[in-house]
Amino acid sequence: MRHTCSAPGDRDAPISAQPPGREGEILTLDGLSVRYGSGPSSLRALDKVSLSLPRGGALGVVGESGSGKSTLAMTLMGLLAGSARVDGGRAVFEGEDLYALSPAGWAGMRGRRIGLVFQDPFTALNPAKTIAHQLTEPLVLHRGLSETAARAEARRLLDEVGISDPDAMLSAYPHALSGGMKQRALIAAALAGDPDLLILDEPTTALDVTIEAQILDLLEALRAERQLSMIFISHNLGVIARVVDEVCVLYAGQVVETAPKAEIFAAPRHPYTKGLLASMPRLGAPRARLETIPGRLPDLTNPPEGCRFAARCPFAEDRCAAPQPMVSVGPGRESRCWKAVALGATPWTSAETAAPARARTVAADAPPALRADGVSKRFRRAGGVRVRIDRSGAIPVPRIGHSTFNAVDAVSLTVKAGETVGLVGESGCGKSTLARCLIRLIEPDGGAIALNGRDILKGRAADRRTIARTAQFVFQNPDSSLNPRKTVRQILARPLALLGEERPGTMDQRVERLLDMVRLSRAYMDRYPHEMSGGEKQRIGIARVLAAEPKFVICDEAVSALDVSVQASILNLLADLRDELGLAYLFISHDLSVVRHIADRVAVMYRGGIVEVGPASALGTPGHHPYTEALLSAVPSLDSRGAERMRLAGTVSAPGDGITGCRFADRCPRKIGPVCDTQAPPWRTGPEGVRFECHHTADALAG
Amino acid sequence: MLLYFCQRVAYVVGIVLVVSLLIFSITQIMPGNVAYVILGDFAPLEQIHALEEKLGFNDPWYVQYWRWLSQIARLDFGDSLIMERPIGPILWQAVANSAVLAVISIVLVAVIGIWLGVVSAVRHGKASDHVVSIGTYIVLAVPEFFWCIVLIVVFAGSLQWLPATGYTSMDEGFFVWASHLVLPVVALVMGLVAHVSRLTRSSMLEVMQSPYVVAARARGIPEARVIRGHALPNALLPTITVLAIDIGVLMGGMVVVETIFSYPGLGRLLIFGIQQLDLPLIQAAMMVVAVIYALANLLADVLYAFLNPRIRFGKAAHG
Repeated sequence: MRHTCSAPGDRDAPISAQPPGREGEILTLDGLSVRYGSGPSSLRALDKVSLSLPRGGALGVVGESGSGKSTLAMTLMGLLAGSARVDGGRAVFEGEDLYALSPAGWAGMRGRRIGLVFQDPFTALNPAKTIAHQLTEPLVLHRGLSETAARAEARRLLDEVGISDPDAMLSAYPHALSGGMKQRALIAAALAGDPDLLILDEPTTALDVTIEAQILDLLEALRAERQLSMIFISHNLGVIARVVDEVCVLYAGQVVETAPKAEIFAAPRHPYTKGLLASMPRLGAPRARLETIPGRLPDLTNPPEGCRFAARCPFAEDRCAAPQPMVSVGPGRESRCWKAVALGATPWTSAETAAPARARTVAADAPPALRADGVSKRFRRAGGVRVRIDRSGAIPVPRIGHSTFNAVDAVSLTVKAGETVGLVGESGCGKSTLARCLIRLIEPDGGAIALNGRDILKGRAADRRTIARTAQFVFQNPDSSLNPRKTVRQILARPLALLGEERPGTMDQRVERLLDMVRLSRAYMDRYPHEMSGGEKQRIGIARVLAAEPKFVICDEAVSALDVSVQASILNLLADLRDELGLAYLFISHDLSVVRHIADRVAVMYRGGIVEVGPASALGTPGHHPYTEALLSAVPSLDSRGAERMRLAGTVSAPGDGITGCRFADRCPRKIGPVCDTQAPPWRTGPEGVRFECHHTADALAG
Repeated sequence: MLLYFCQRVAYVVGIVLVVSLLIFSITQIMPGNVAYVILGDFAPLEQIHALEEKLGFNDPWYVQYWRWLSQIARLDFGDSLIMERPIGPILWQAVANSAVLAVISIVLVAVIGIWLGVVSAVRHGKASDHVVSIGTYIVLAVPEFFWCIVLIVVFAGSLQWLPATGYTSMDEGFFVWASHLVLPVVALVMGLVAHVSRLTRSSMLEVMQSPYVVAARARGIPEARVIRGHALPNALLPTITVLAIDIGVLMGGMVVVETIFSYPGLGRLLIFGIQQLDLPLIQAAMMVVAVIYALANLLADVLYAFLNPRIRFGKAAHG
């Protein structure tokens, strides 16, 4: 891989009058600042950002929410929203100062020389226009092609981004396409103007891991073929590690560290980068506890003069209160920390590590908190109305039939008291439907479910309130699962009154006790959800669940919407509560590293059925169901670079309907032959007690 | 799409049937006896009974309803009690006069309302947006009969530019005909333009924030094209639904406006029928209003589907 990063020098020096576009650099940012709003409530989303991107290079921009990384993308496209404006510095692209451009100059830049791919492929395509229309429009406008020529070119572009049937794609509307196909179409559209620089703003965040891996492969290939320069923005360090040469870490609108990729992950030199890396759960290197970064982002309307990270930094000293320049910490490396060199390889330490990690063993004879047998749920297929003529009687009668599919197909699952079972699978595999069936938020069609040994599908235990006292649900998005018009006190008092046991003390004292359990101070009692950060809101979500004193808690993507550092502290909290209260968790996630970290056992779901169950520790060793194997190899990680990757073709298959053979047969890279399509595979037992459903033997798969 | 269309038609038929039942029930509830209306208040009781027998008033209600409905379905509306003439020709003439007013109004509402909405959304927060917003609130805040009076006082009274009331046929010259339409149309259109422009503005503002609009900009599509080609088709979806509902509001407004401007349309005919207790006339006029309204909504649904590929092609499964 090419490696041409120029040593950036100290960019905090006064900006020279000469446009600083250096030789061989396609993009140079020099002290670029962006401000939202005006007056005392205005905030500086980007503060003197200096970066450089060599021609043909790929720069990764990492940051958590509030770091200003999306503002950076919009600034480079000249698409800042309403009140935002550039209030200092320069962005020089190929020798031209972008913010000295006339509107006509911008028109020649946007979409033609700089392309942008967005985070969410599901909303970035116009629902009212065909793919052909959205692709040919820039071709006609920018390259002056005729409609026919543009269509041919659009077809070629779709072919280039790996669409197997470009003609069908061209005449399709976005709603008919899967997420991965939409993102490919959007990449094709961004390439339509034949740009030199492609900005990718979280391009794979909304996609499943196997699809994410495909898109990352595509981006790598495009970069090599087209000599594209790329800026790859992401919160996910693993994804960044796959694609880029250089990494730049943003914190609170400032660049805090820049370094070549290999060095920054192996030896971070800014405390924030250290904290970020330490709080990531990793597949390859399991730890009993995750490190966390305490505190929260500084108020950007009135940021501290000195180091913006000082308040959260375990290494902070008095000198950190002075403004911090970028310091050189090696060839091509800089860090905005005066202690960077002195700290060297000193690892991140957080207060959390002080708590001893408990040894985790779940007694083999522990009673089951949840026992599900053959749980099934069928749904009507959307738009699947078919009128057929019923000729069974004397007179043919037209009948309206609905085609249905098995969202959950005879799933059996046991979670013992005190045990955490992880449930993984890609979108549409039925994991959320299963979770909702287990506590009858959705009524299952068949099977038996027992919570704490009591059948909840019949008898007295079937009453909703009784179920709620034993089993509770933590939702993914704390922003929408808390009522914005209620204070924390009201949010927590309600389940206490409805579901809680009679306990001594006033309601306020009982609410305080719940806050103590989730490590929040009493000051939060009278706050509204909008006055709290994402992590604090999720703590309230957990406290609300604890009010009912349940034995079994379902966490449905409970940490997926949170930043890495916050995710770590919530995972630690969940682990502590499990050990203190003896809770059993069903932990649903698409993120294998998170599941590997928190779960004792892991179940893998595909097309409505469980294809593998095994101890979480076995995820690090070979001998798995081919689907698990594919999931594991698709996870972008910092540790397993260069490893042989197993790729799944196509998209996640539609939910099961009349599956005769193996659920995974249509996508399986290890398919044996017709037997996979016709015969249900047997359950096999592999090393470390992993059980999976496959025609291959465990030995064959481990080899 | 065909299935969708059939569904919509079935809805319309259902709605018209339910409404017809309501309209018919008026005959059963309304004060006054039709036989008395026909024969006069001092007719002998035997004659009243004889007439009631002859008109079928002694049959069970569902027999009467069926008789009435099948008549209406053949477009036979019977005779007016007051005018003692077949209702059909009178009604169709009124419908034609009203249609002139309604079609001009609804086209103006759509064009001006959507245009104002788009302009104020695109210039969000600027002076022109505030002017449009304040204007629409003032228009909406005051009932339309007030605006009718203001228009008459100013344009017919003080300025004497336009005739205050009445109607002439096209035979007397296009300008004479048109001059009689201006004030009623303006009175009808004002409130609805305000309504439609408010709605278009808010849906347009929402769509302009959407990722696909930003994505179109990022592809270098010029702003005018982004607004026309990418934002507007999506922003129009809610507007179309509301325009169909506004046809109902328009017909309500026409009752007021036609009465004030003495315009010989369906609204004024309906008021005349109600004042005179002319039951067959009331029923016929109301049925026509209901059917027009139902058809307008059918049209809106079809147009909606046309602009929304998710309905046009059914919601395909991912794959």
